[in-house]
Amino acid sequence: MFNFILFVLLVVINVNAKEPILPIPLENNFNEEKARLGMALFSDPILSKDNSTACISCHNIYEGGADRRIVSLGYANKKGNIQSPTVLNAKYNFKQFWNGRANNLIEQADGPINNPAEHNMDAKTVEDRINKSQIYKENFKKAYGVTYIPYKLVLAAIVEFENALTTPNAKFDKFLRNEIELSPDEKEGYKLFKQYGCVTCHNGVNIGGNSFQKMGTFLEYKSDIRYPDRSKITNNDEHINVFKVPTLRNINLTPPYFHDGSAKTLKEAITKMSRHNLGVKFSDKQADKIILFLKTLDGEKPKILDSK
Amino acid sequence: MKINRWVSLVLGIGLISSVVLVYFYVSQRDFTKNHREFLISINNLENINADLTTLILENSLYAYNNQDPVSSSVQELLKEYKDLKNTKILKDKNYEVIKVRLFILDRQLEENVQNIQNYQMLNAGVKNSLLFLTRHVENLGLMLEGDKSSLAYSKVFVESVKILKHFNNAKQMLDMDYVDNYKYLLEASAKEIEIQEFVKNFNTHSEFLTKKYPSFLIATKEILQNNIHKDIEQIRENFSKIAINDFKALDIFAFILFSVFILSLITIVVLFIKYLRENKQLTKTKESLEHSLTYDHLTDLYNRRTLELELENIEAPHLLLINIDRFKYINDIYGNDVGNQVLKDIANLITIHVGDEYRAKVYRLGGDEYGVLFSKILEDKALQIADILEREITNHHFHVEDLTLQVLVSIASNNIYPIIENADMALKLIKKDYTKRVLAYKENLNIKKSVQENMDTIELIKSAIEDDRIVPFFQPIVNLQTSKIEKYEALVRLKLEDGTFLPPFRFLDTSKKTRYYRDITRIMIEKTLETLKDYPSYRFSINISMTDILDDEIVTILLTSLENNKSVASRFDIELLESENLQDISKVQDFIKKLTAFGSKILIDDFGSGYSNFSYFSDIDVDIIKIDGSITKEITSSERKLHMLKSIYEFTKGMNMTNVAEFVETREMAVLLKEIGVKYAQGYYFSQPLEKPLESDDITI
Repeated sequence: MFNFILFVLLVVINVNAKEPILPIPLENNFNEEKARLGMALFSDPILSKDNSTACISCHNIYEGGADRRIVSLGYANKKGNIQSPTVLNAKYNFKQFWNGRANNLIEQADGPINNPAEHNMDAKTVEDRINKSQIYKENFKKAYGVTYIPYKLVLAAIVEFENALTTPNAKFDKFLRNEIELSPDEKEGYKLFKQYGCVTCHNGVNIGGNSFQKMGTFLEYKSDIRYPDRSKITNNDEHINVFKVPTLRNINLTPPYFHDGSAKTLKEAITKMSRHNLGVKFSDKQADKIILFLKTLDGEKPKILDSK
Repeated sequence: MKINRWVSLVLGIGLISSVVLVYFYVSQRDFTKNHREFLISINNLENINADLTTLILENSLYAYNNQDPVSSSVQELLKEYKDLKNTKILKDKNYEVIKVRLFILDRQLEENVQNIQNYQMLNAGVKNSLLFLTRHVENLGLMLEGDKSSLAYSKVFVESVKILKHFNNAKQMLDMDYVDNYKYLLEASAKEIEIQEFVKNFNTHSEFLTKKYPSFLIATKEILQNNIHKDIEQIRENFSKIAINDFKALDIFAFILFSVFILSLITIVVLFIKYLRENKQLTKTKESLEHSLTYDHLTDLYNRRTLELELENIEAPHLLLINIDRFKYINDIYGNDVGNQVLKDIANLITIHVGDEYRAKVYRLGGDEYGVLFSKILEDKALQIADILEREITNHHFHVEDLTLQVLVSIASNNIYPIIENADMALKLIKKDYTKRVLAYKENLNIKKSVQENMDTIELIKSAIEDDRIVPFFQPIVNLQTSKIEKYEALVRLKLEDGTFLPPFRFLDTSKKTRYYRDITRIMIEKTLETLKDYPSYRFSINISMTDILDDEIVTILLTSLENNKSVASRFDIELLESENLQDISKVQDFIKKLTAFGSKILIDDFGSGYSNFSYFSDIDVDIIKIDGSITKEITSSERKLHMLKSIYEFTKGMNMTNVAEFVETREMAVLLKEIGVKYAQGYYFSQPLEKPLESDDITI
């Protein structure tokens, strides 16, 4: 009788037959020449006023594409106000920045360059500096056929590079493509991930990055006016502590976690997340299994980084 | 000219309609393209919106779900709206209303996106709590299957299942009633710690659900029941209404264009038909013109022009010129139709009898004249053919209508240049000599000479008139009984530049063929009248022929002159010369009456010669008869002539007329005439014609 009731319940809950997570497409279209030009710009501190900060300063593409510091240091060692999100697979996010204020990567790239605490630059100065460089001029001529490099092409080149920054062939992706089997614990971790509702927000190609959610849906999370959350865009108090759901791709490589960098380890992050957003308390065993699963999300290093 | 105007009209219309057509095509294409662009865009928008709704439904239905499609759909939706807003057709003023509506739609879309984001957050919490409760109840169930099947467990389990079922139903039915007025919490009365823990966790989530459910429900409904679909429908409807007007305008434009096109097509066809018809007519006219240039229209023989052209090219030409004698009378008596039929028949006769043997060509050269042209023919042979033709035509009985006619023809034959002129001359000679019907032209015919003489004479007359060298000579007419000159006959002379005088037979006949004849008559009348004034004891007479009387101009000249010289007019007599055919006797009578009113006397000249006719004495009042010289001359030598003279004398006496004898050249004649009783005489015996009348009127017989 109980079995029957359970069966009925499960049917009613209606578990989707399709997996809610998709592998990163193996095919990634970008212009190699432009992307390489973008890579040079990404690593070039001339894009900051005092020649101290490059994009790569806070988005270490060789180590998860993010910053291990709680907040990054930018122009004149000024501190940022939020934990640096990863640039890897950013193209699969529906919006950019924690609060989604940029609709695409071009809009995003413009942000830090102009941010006084980051690059502290302006379009004019960028153009002046870039156009003084013979190498850039040559490369831009080759890639875009221009003799004068406008600011928007600088952004375009950087974005082209960012488009190349995908990390396909994670163990889990291979599993999704039925190429390999996960270990029983990893599989168990994935099952818990689904069963307890992590997947409700962390789904899609980027396992996140496709919706806004409140940090502390179930149990109120401490809020701090300094953090640029969604309410700063919508002026809606209900959107305090609402952020773009971060991707879980390469999550193992991008501590600390959350917008405030308050979780230093995955276990800490899982514990906090399950308490505030799921109303669940995982056992150690369960948490470890979920961590095992999360580690299968580490993908291959972007190919463009292999060859210099 | 007219055609040219038509052509330029058609060209004009064609050009204009081409330009208009291109303009129409371009604007129509642009409009259709823009129209389609808008419709496609708005349809896309609608589809994306529908997809989004479906995705949201899916999302709410499934426990866990990939939300990538939702976010990409939202992006697509916004992008499509932007595209829609930028469609070209909206730049048109007519579509301003649509823009306003789109603005409203924009707000709806924005709102919807907000709602979706809102929904996603609420949905996550609700779903996760439901998942938790499901997992939680499931775990309790697993415990029950074990050894812990106590009543307390069962009770909590059943209660928790009920609540769970309720939440599930509520989520599925999206109905507030499922959560209102009900306490969805488990009682925390059990003593077992496990149950207490279960109840505590269950209630936390149940409370969460109860709290969140209303706003979740509202958010879901707001998305699922949004007005975007209706708005889009409305916009499309409005758009179609405006577009229909545009299409109507295009339609009318197209109709006009089509009409113009058809019109110009019809014009072209009409023009073409007209052109064909005119061309046909032109060809016909051209052919008939060419034909009439070459052929005679009545007989279909070659015409004179063709002969002239042929003569320029032909070698050794030989022409037979055939003329119908007195053909004019056939036309006058029987009418032109009969005449034309005879002409045609003669044309056939000539053609038949000339035959093909000599490759001769037959021509009609004028009213009653035909030509047969040979090349390199023996003269004898040509004459032989001419003879045959003459015989055949003369002997032919022409049957026209009820009539049977016969004609005479004259044929001239010539091979000497100028061909036509020489043949003509020969023909004229035949006309003068009734004994000849066929004549060949010879150089010695001397016709040409007389022509030249004629020309010279005319020149002579012309200059004489101009220089006042036409003068009257006067011959006295003597009263035999009294031996006195009573009258003078004025006779015309042409004074040559050397002072000698030409008698009338040298120039008068020639002058009759020219307008100078009237001048001569006038001069004679005027000068005689002048002389009359100087010689009051004599009567003077001039010669007028009966044909002159038929010439109104001459009659007018004469009567006017008499009227102007009334004092002497009663002594001015007229010597009438009889003519072959005096057709209008009444005209002559009228003339005589007018003359006698002046006191003039009428003489009949040359009576007893030529056509002398007694008949008109009954109609005309004649005063004096002039006995013809041919009789008078021989009265002394011929008894017959003497008798004739006597008879005439007796006749005139009986008719109460006086008489004059001409050509009296001897005394013997004069004496004899006097004996017979003839009153007057004139002739060389008494005097030749003189420049002036004699001073004395005495004459010795």
